Amino acid sequence: MNEAQAVQLFKCLSDKSRLQILKSLAVEDMYVERLSERLGITAATVSFHLKKLADAGAVTSYKSQYYMMYSLNRTIFQTTILEILEEKSDEDAEQDRRDEKYRQKVLDAFLEYGKLKAIPAQRKKERIILEEIVKSFEYDRIYSEREVNWILSDYFDDFCTLRRDLVAEQLLCRDAKGYWRVKAENKTE
Amino acid sequence: MNNEQANEFEAFLQERISCCTKKSQALFKDDRKDEAVFEKVRANVYDIFKTVFSVAAKNEKDAQAAETFFLAKLEQIPSAWVQSLEQAQQHGDSQKAHIETIKLDAVREIREKFAQITE
Repeated sequence: MNEAQAVQLFKCLSDKSRLQILKSLAVEDMYVERLSERLGITAATVSFHLKKLADAGAVTSYKSQYYMMYSLNRTIFQTTILEILEEKSDEDAEQDRRDEKYRQKVLDAFLEYGKLKAIPAQRKKERIILEEIVKSFEYDRIYSEREVNWILSDYFDDFCTLRRDLVAEQLLCRDAKGYWRVKAENKTE
Repeated sequence: MNNEQANEFEAFLQERISCCTKKSQALFKDDRKDEAVFEKVRANVYDIFKTVFSVAAKNEKDAQAAETFFLAKLEQIPSAWVQSLEQAQQHGDSQKAHIETIKLDAVREIREKFAQITE
């Protein structure tokens, strides 16, 4: 289900009469007049709601003798809300562009000629700076504390704070052997 | 149409406006927004013809002329809605089609009531 379909479905569901129609159809397939009697809504209004529900993919119809029967599209209701949220957004590219623009703005504000002017007070901004600094470390290599300090001192005099914050942000990991750069997908909790 | 008949007709229109407005408010509160809009549309139609009726009574020189003016408007105003309904049906716009049908149903009711009172 793409975003437009999800929006259409949610809009459609945010109406008590349509919800009542769907609840009735969850019990069994019904035709317009039956729904009209059951819900106390005119047949014309029931037809109007059914058209909206059909457009949103919530119901399907089929002909049975003289009647047009309506049934619940169970497949669409088996989709979880999480699955809808995890669908790729139509606006992903634009959101990525905005994120990158913001990131660049923060880097420009705090880094000058490759030197850190100050550690940002806001955690979100500090994270962006640390993500940039950590690029100086190679993956799959163990660094001694001395090496780490040496690299970080190129950025900022208070390299101890930077080192601790890199570990706290799980961009670097440490044990008795030394420090290493954490790959994004296997950060330690 | 005498004064008594005019009052009866105006009371009918006012009662329909109040009834539809109350229904619309209740439907809004009950999260039935589309149906609330439909009731509001219905109320608007009664309101339009209430205004037309009072203008006819005020501006026309006698009761017969007022009646003729009102009946002419009862044909003229909904003709645009008939066209709009046809267009909506052609384009599969069910919401618009339903609204135009509601408006025309209300006009039919007004016409029948007017005929009944003036019989």
